[in-house]
Amino acid sequence: MTHPPVPFDPELAAALAALGDQVPTAITPDMIAAARQATDPAMAPPTDEELSLGGTYTVAERVVPGPADAPDISLLICTPAGADSACPAIYYTHGGGMILGDNRNGMAGMVEIAARYGAVVVSVEYRLAPETRHPGPIEDVYAGLVWTAKNAAELGIDPDRILIAGGSAGGGLTAALGLLARDRGGPAVLGQLLMCPMLDDRNDSVSAEQMAGRGVWDRTANATGWGALLGDAAGGPDVSPYAAPARATDLSGLPPAFIDVGSAETFRDEDVAYATAIWQAGGRAELHVWPGGYHGFEAFAPAAAVSQDAKAARLRWLDRLFA
Amino acid sequence: MKDLAVRLEALDADAGAALRVIAYFDSLTESRAGLQAIVRGAAVLAGVPARLDDAERRVHVRITPAGVSEASAEPADTGWPRTEIGARAVLALERTGEPGPVDAMILERAAGAARAVLDRTRGRAPAEDPALVELIVDAAAPLSVREVAARKLGLDGPVRAAARPAGPLVLPAGAAVPPGRIGLGPAVPVADLPASYAAARVALRFAADGTDDDPGPPVVAYESLGGLALLAAAPLPEAIPDLDALAHAMASAPWALATLQAFADTASLRAAATALRLHHSTLQDRIIHLEHLLGWPTRTTAGKLRLQIALALRRLARHP
Repeated sequence: MTHPPVPFDPELAAALAALGDQVPTAITPDMIAAARQATDPAMAPPTDEELSLGGTYTVAERVVPGPADAPDISLLICTPAGADSACPAIYYTHGGGMILGDNRNGMAGMVEIAARYGAVVVSVEYRLAPETRHPGPIEDVYAGLVWTAKNAAELGIDPDRILIAGGSAGGGLTAALGLLARDRGGPAVLGQLLMCPMLDDRNDSVSAEQMAGRGVWDRTANATGWGALLGDAAGGPDVSPYAAPARATDLSGLPPAFIDVGSAETFRDEDVAYATAIWQAGGRAELHVWPGGYHGFEAFAPAAAVSQDAKAARLRWLDRLFA
Repeated sequence: MKDLAVRLEALDADAGAALRVIAYFDSLTESRAGLQAIVRGAAVLAGVPARLDDAERRVHVRITPAGVSEASAEPADTGWPRTEIGARAVLALERTGEPGPVDAMILERAAGAARAVLDRTRGRAPAEDPALVELIVDAAAPLSVREVAARKLGLDGPVRAAARPAGPLVLPAGAAVPPGRIGLGPAVPVADLPASYAAARVALRFAADGTDDDPGPPVVAYESLGGLALLAAAPLPEAIPDLDALAHAMASAPWALATLQAFADTASLRAAATALRLHHSTLQDRIIHLEHLLGWPTRTTAGKLRLQIALALRRLARHP
């Protein structure tokens, strides 16, 4: 049977209507180059000045070793000015469907959150698909975490209080990072903040089907992202859980997860399923499904009531985690 | 990612911003969004707080550009861009100074969306009973009776009485003022509303119709009158020479009164010229002509005071 689409929240729908063609719903492989060149001034990455929050943070780029036999990676590190003891840290992985963005995307919001806890933010620059296929991106992300934990003392970070966080593709990479850190006996992770994470290359859930052609990052765009990362293997039998965490069969022993997603987006069902699988494995997860939310709604309409609720829920979880 | 206002600002150059404002409120209306969402939309798109006050239905919504509902103790500023929704509801953007490029469009579209919601929900809004309002501003009514009336009207916290030609009105302290000629009493606890109303009635006498025949501010707050309020208590004699002089000036030129009022209301000739949309040298010529007709200089401090008092007396005589 076909499933009718879930309606958008009225305020979120209005923001989308106002933005119009600035927000493409479907992205096909031939659009990747143009999307990377997009010059929408509102999408401009935050400057060092903006990230410094009026001088309360210092901003630095560090080039550190990447995975074995791979190029170095760049970490954008924002540190609270004048901290006199080791700080908690947020290790952040940006979104962009595996094909777009850099380590400044989404950082304005992350530093704002981090400032509440006096936390350092480390944002990793990973190689993008399709130029770099799996496992390149996740190995970059992992290498950055390993370096951060190893150099915690120099960075002023408490190595026992490193949270991993990411949105969209960054949320998927963060979930994979949690699995990888567990399986390789890597750095200890305090928690995983998965914001509307991109988890399942199969791209065949009811939510993917019913929201096709609507909102932000629909099924076609999702196929483009996974195709870029996995090539022909996408959706097939042999996809690694470190590429698509929805493929994981063992979700025990993971750090506490916070997962949020909109009810009107492609990722709804895979994100709900991931939280469910964590619980079924005896793990800790907090799940929020925001009614009428399309992908990344709180970034497009930050003042909307449902966006404020979504941001507040994250902070309440972080309050409990960092307390 | 920046918010909508920043995005829309960046688009002003191509006039797309107005279209996007239209799309925003059309979409809200289509999905039957509520008043909070509509006022929030106005605040977000304008980048300043927005407030909707419907005195009749006792709807008071104020939202900051961050989307947060936040009451304000500050009274509404009559200089803010605003639009009326029906007879007694006002939607205002809390912007002083230069209007934003799409303020007018935001107000028009948000007001249209809000009107649809108010009309749809009108049945559920309790109608304000004029008899109850008259009761709570009546010093002769026992306090206990006035308190019951206030509860029925849903009033608590600081309130101010307002006087209109049609009768009394009671507004929450920070609420926007409905349009038309109106005098405002000070914000007080409910028990002191009779005194606030007495003050509002005095203020109303100083409020102008805003017509050529009665230029000047239509909204006057008692607190702003200072010692001028004492004039209202004085019995006015049959003939006041300075009012005859004003009449003489008015008879000679249709623009006389509006010109004198603007000159009296502003700090400089240049500011008065801007308000009247005249070249300042034209205004200077007119003022010299009017001084001749009035028989006293108006560009001296003492002369300007005399003019202001004459204009105030004229309004008191006109609105007994």
